[in-house]
Formats: sequence, C-alpha cells, structure tokens
Amino acid sequence: MNIKVLLFSFFLVPLLMVAQDEEDYSMYDDLEYADEGATTFASPKIIGLSPNRFINVAWDVQSPYTMNTSDTIGYLPDASWEIKESSNVNYTGGLRLNANIPIISRNNIVWQMGANYMNTNFSIDDADSSGDPILSELNRTSLSTTGLFTTVFKPLNDKQFLIFQGQADYNGNYTFTDFHSFGLTKYSAAVLWGKRPHDRLQWAIGASRTYRVGELNYVPIIMYNWTSKKEKWGTEILFPAKANGKYWMNKNSLIMFGYELEGGSYHLEGLSNNGNSFELRRGAVRPRIEWNRKLVGFFWLNAQLGTRINYGFTYDELENGKEFFRGFFGQQEIAAFSSLGTSLYGLVGISFVSL
Amino acid sequence: MKKFKILAIIFVGLFLLTSMVGDSEDADKLVGVWEPSNKKIKVKIDKISGKYYGKIVWLREPIDPVTGKPKTDKNNPDESLKDVPLKGFRMLKDFVYSGNGEWSEGTIYDPQNGSTYSSVIKLKDENTLDIRGFIGLKTFGRTDVWKRLIMKNKK
Repeated sequence: MNIKVLLFSFFLVPLLMVAQDEEDYSMYDDLEYADEGATTFASPKIIGLSPNRFINVAWDVQSPYTMNTSDTIGYLPDASWEIKESSNVNYTGGLRLNANIPIISRNNIVWQMGANYMNTNFSIDDADSSGDPILSELNRTSLSTTGLFTTVFKPLNDKQFLIFQGQADYNGNYTFTDFHSFGLTKYSAAVLWGKRPHDRLQWAIGASRTYRVGELNYVPIIMYNWTSKKEKWGTEILFPAKANGKYWMNKNSLIMFGYELEGGSYHLEGLSNNGNSFELRRGAVRPRIEWNRKLVGFFWLNAQLGTRINYGFTYDELENGKEFFRGFFGQQEIAAFSSLGTSLYGLVGISFVSL
Repeated sequence: MKKFKILAIIFVGLFLLTSMVGDSEDADKLVGVWEPSNKKIKVKIDKISGKYYGKIVWLREPIDPVTGKPKTDKNNPDESLKDVPLKGFRMLKDFVYSGNGEWSEGTIYDPQNGSTYSSVIKLKDENTLDIRGFIGLKTFGRTDVWKRLIMKNKK
C-alpha cells in the first residue's frame, strides 16, 4: 500500500473526525420554525418516577395471625361485639396479575386500559369443626378480584393536566368455572386536576369513589410526586390510597418506604340467601419497605416487606345485591364483625416496565 | 421491432431511475434540524452511509444545575459514557427509509433516564414528524411530535 495513503489514514482521517466533532453549535441558537412549533403539553411523568409497570406478576403472603369473629346477628356500626370464635389463620396469600396497556400514547393524550387479577387463599385452623359459617366459607374458598380499568391522562397545556380513572372489579369467592352474578361488580372512579410546575414535581387534587377500605366510600385525593435536584430522593403520594418516600440507590435500584391501603368488597356465595348478597368488606393498611431492582432490559424485580394492619373486616347483607353507602357516619346495620391480628407480609413480583 | 425493444429498455430504465431518485428524495426529507414538543432540545438529523442519525445540537438548559457545568449524559448505563457532553450526543441511530414517509429499524435514546427504545419515524407533512419510541411491541410506547427548524430568513 502506498505510504501516503497510510499516512492519510493514520493522521488525516482522525483529524477530520475531530474537526467534525468540533461543530459550531452556536449556529443552532437562532433558528425558526419552518411553519409553526408543536404545542407543548405537560408530560404524565416526572424525572425519577418509579418504573411504570405494563405487566406485573406477583405473589403475596402473610404470616399467621388470629381471626376473631362475632355472631351474625346485626350490629350498629359503632356497637361493641363479643367474640364467638377465635381461630388461628395459618396462611393467607395468593397470586396477583396486572396488565396496563397503552391504547393511545401521544404527547396530547395518554389512554391506557388494564386488567388485574388478585387471589387470596386462607388456611384457618379448625374452621370446619368450629361450626362458624363465616370461617368455614373463608377456609373452603378463596377470594378473587378480576378487574378492568382505564386511565386517561389529558394535558390541558404545558403545565396543567386532568386524570380520569375508572375501574370495574368482580369480587367474590368464585372460581373461573363457577361465576356468581355479574350484577355484583364494584365500580370505582377518580378524577384529578393537577399541575406540573417543572420536570421534578407534579401535584393534583381530586375526588374518588373507592372500595379501598372495604366499604364504598367517597374521599378527596391528593397526588404529590416529587424528585430532589440530585434525583436521589423523592415522594410518590396518592393520599389516602398510598404514600411513599423513595431513594434511588442508582439508576437500577430503587427503595421505597411508606404505606398502601388495600381492600375491597367480596360477595360470599355460600352465605348469601334469598337473593341477598352477603359481602365481606375488608380493608387493611400496609406499611412497608419496597425494593425495585432492574433484572435485565425492561424487566424489574419488585419485593415488599411490611405489616398488614387490619382496618376493617366486616360483613354486610346487601338486599337484592344492591350496594349502599354508609360512609363514616351512616348507621346501617353491620351483619357481623371480624378482627384480625396484625401480621407480617411479603410480596415478590416481576414486572415489564417503562421508565 | 429492434427499435421498439431499445425504446422499451430505455423507458423501463428511466422509470426505475426516476423512482429511485424519487425514493431517495423522499428519504432525505428527514434530514434537517428538528425540535421535540417539549422544546428542550434541537436535534440535527443527517444521513450517514445510507442510514439516518440524529444528534443534539442545542439544549434549552445547557448547564447542569447540580454541577454548574455543561450537561453530560449522566444517566447513561455505560459508566464510560457518563461524562460525554449531551451537546453533540447522537440520540437517534440507524434509521432506514422504509417507504411511504416512514423510517424504521432505528433507536431513540432518552437522556433523562438513560434508556434506549426501538423507534419509528413518520413524516406527517414536510415540517412535522411523529416519532414513536417503544419497547418490544409498538403498543408499549409513546409518540411525540417534532417540528422542522430552519435558518432564519430561509422560508
């Protein structure tokens, strides 16, 4: 090969490349639109938000605890009640599946549809020999939630946005070969209006119809998602449903600490008579620490360790399956009470996420 | 008959040539400077060896508020690239023109979280692009609108 060509390759080509890298970027300071600029809309995300789970598969388990149950005679909500049966619950746990699929995802609107399935099995000592129909029913069957939900994020401009969320949950001790009436589906919804002042903060206020504490309720909600300047610390709050502090150990590992309210209203088929629906209203507070860790690509591990503190585990008889609103002050009768001892809980899941 | 054959060959040749030139002209409509809808950066798209690449040429906030220095690609999962300046960073890579005003097989990099997504680009009109970044399936993604920028007084 000609020595000049070699010299060119070794010295001139790198020099040319350097010259190309040293482009004068100031020429791009003063450009204008060929026609008109795109409208800027508030993004649904902020910097440092925990991974958004498209698909999640998880297993939840609780440590043993005591379950006390009253007689089924009807009580005023604030009445005292006597323990009829006291049993040890050896095992509480089950599978959780969640899919959240974007239908439209553009800068001017994001619309997602999702489905979830959650199963809780109980193993209660001496449930059948106790003669208590509630314990027997819980022990014999498992509680399932199969739900469909939709979320719409609509930015109004570069700072303000609206969020609408609607959910329909089919809750009960059914199996997929033995469905109960779909008329018992529970509907939840939330509407929020909020602002995104900058890339590390978004907040919103709104109202929701929820079964988070077991019974139907209407509560105000506050969202406050914030990330520190160094993108290490932050909060992810959707009060009262959940509130978390967070710390990014690095870009692949996130620790969250806070609580979540979890609950629902479940139709118990074996205890429902005369066209009425016997419903378990269960709600729990779950203070916990949560670790999210990137496994590979967009697959992340999610592990939680915390306590499950009982908020409510009561029973209502819905006449003809018709839902009612008791709220914090209603005096409608409660059919029966249970109280649950506090237990430890753990959850392990794998998610397909977007950052 | 021989004349007819020659004419036919010339006609077919010209047709192929003009379609190729037309295709190439359409493909190069991607070349230029573009601005995403958040208006935080400007990206210059060039054609290099038959593929299309886009690099950041302007940042609305060029200085990192934490370090007080020019922003670097601090979220890059590759430790050795964390100090690379964002200005000049190639965030669009390997796009190939697939016809009908669409470029595919490329990737888009998000410097805010250090993730690289599969991407397709659709030319909506001469001065508007729909850029979709996605994970695996196009469903798991998001589309942004980018607008063409030109030197002043070039209209």
